[in-house]
Amino acid sequence: MAELTHGFKIDGEKCSGCLSCMRVCPTHAIRVRDRKARYKPDHCIDCGVCLTACPWNAIGATTWSVEDLNRFKFKVAVPCPVLFGQFPPGIAPAMVVDGLLTLGFDAVWDYSVEIGLVARAIHEYVERWRGATPLISISCPVVVRLVQVSYPRMVDQLIPVQLPREIAGREVKRRFSAQLGLDEDEIAAIYITPCSAKTISILEPAEGAVSHLDGTLGISDVYNAILAYASLQKDEARKTSQRPIIRNSTFLQWHVSEGLGHLLAAHRYLRVTGLSNIIQVFDDIEKGRLRRVDFLEAYNCWSGCMAGNLTVANLYVTRSKLQALIGNLPEMDLETEAEIERRYPNEVFSLERPIRPRPIRGRTGSLRERVQMIQHAEAALASLPGLNCGLCGAPTCKELARDISMGDATKQDCVLLSKDRLRELQRAYLRRTQ
Amino acid sequence: MTEELLRRSFEVRGQDFENAGETSAEVTAILKDLEIDPDIILRVGVVTFEAEMNVVMYAEKATVTFILADDEIAVEVIDQGPGIPNIELAMQPGYSTASDEMREMGFGYGLGLPNIKKNSDAFVLESQVGKGTKVYSSIRLDPHG
Repeated sequence: MAELTHGFKIDGEKCSGCLSCMRVCPTHAIRVRDRKARYKPDHCIDCGVCLTACPWNAIGATTWSVEDLNRFKFKVAVPCPVLFGQFPPGIAPAMVVDGLLTLGFDAVWDYSVEIGLVARAIHEYVERWRGATPLISISCPVVVRLVQVSYPRMVDQLIPVQLPREIAGREVKRRFSAQLGLDEDEIAAIYITPCSAKTISILEPAEGAVSHLDGTLGISDVYNAILAYASLQKDEARKTSQRPIIRNSTFLQWHVSEGLGHLLAAHRYLRVTGLSNIIQVFDDIEKGRLRRVDFLEAYNCWSGCMAGNLTVANLYVTRSKLQALIGNLPEMDLETEAEIERRYPNEVFSLERPIRPRPIRGRTGSLRERVQMIQHAEAALASLPGLNCGLCGAPTCKELARDISMGDATKQDCVLLSKDRLRELQRAYLRRTQ
Repeated sequence: MTEELLRRSFEVRGQDFENAGETSAEVTAILKDLEIDPDIILRVGVVTFEAEMNVVMYAEKATVTFILADDEIAVEVIDQGPGIPNIELAMQPGYSTASDEMREMGFGYGLGLPNIKKNSDAFVLESQVGKGTKVYSSIRLDPHG
């Protein structure tokens, strides 16, 4: 099995060893040793909580820069709908599109057709499904990774229908290579992303296939340039040259209100946001307490993608802006509908490979040895104070016990059991004058 | 030769719907921690969950014992309860004596025992009317897993 890579890097220079990230990590993927935080990569689900919690800005996400685009002959932006809700009133979607074009993109792709196609494919899949429920949307990559790492029993419930952004990337390459007589490799499909988790899902898709998208720029990477351009345009009262990019509200609805809910109205549907809520619901599914739900959509960020960690504007402002835009658009338009009808029978929408579990591979050795390890961990836990203070560098006593059983730590890392450890921390963390 | 490596027992109380599922969650957590093959975890989880639900729905109380050996995982449930008068009938998919109330909660579709059997490599059901029921299920382990 390929090693689970994750998208965050800790800058050792900036990290103060303050434990903030370690304490908030929902999967206990961070340890602090020798005053520096480090990841246990196969525990990380790319939720980005650590990045937000770090007071020292020491944690960064893998992103592209605008310069990375230059190696392609033709560059197409595939913007997440959330982008259009980021700007102040008066900056219409067409201006945002023009802003992207001045940034160096040759075209901007509205993927409402792809959303329509995928919604139909999901609808068919849900209708046909006879296995365990609820089926779970793969829209949020953190949710997919959470299932792979922590709920391996539920991987078959992930809906193996490709995401609209991926279908858009495929179509962008097909369409423009035919139109311009270029190789597909010479055309870049760049997703404008609201969060770092989607970047990682494009660099490293959960199912182990290759993404149809070539890379990402964060909304925060393009925001200032678009805002500057659009403000200038407004001042000059210049009319935009673009035809309206967003023709119906389906595109903007995708991440706003009930997501897919209105498309699957006949099914028992649940939408959950926020990682702690998701974990609670997934635990209930595992315990068999959530029997009467057919379809579940879950997003790591509270309220969904509008609150992604690479967005700029306040979530509530974004939502209100998007709702205003949605109010002015028809739900569907004839042109989009005809395009969905034309393409649906001719394309494949399932994932190229199944999503498999990626259980944490912490223990090695025979079953007998692994049993001895968990017994060792239980014995170690019994001798630890149960304070969960984190000063050992593990988030809880239970995690320290687990680390001890695997030979990654010792009881002497506990400050209540070892005066040496306490003195060591005093030397490392107290700035002494003497 | 089968050698026992780990054994855990859990008490389950009848009508305790609030904690129903906790035993199978705990068993699953142990198996995850041991890095057992997820497909095996799924099967053991289903067996434990269905057996546990049967206790919650029909019995007074029970002891659920989880036994990990080097070549198999066994789950044994011994309950004090009404017993099953006709085992053959109880094993038929869709046969259920559940109340409407239980069905309202999403249980009692008559799939519990057949589901346990389907997920087991070995399955034994013994019952004495008025005393209780014993369910034994075992699932083989890949010797290298």
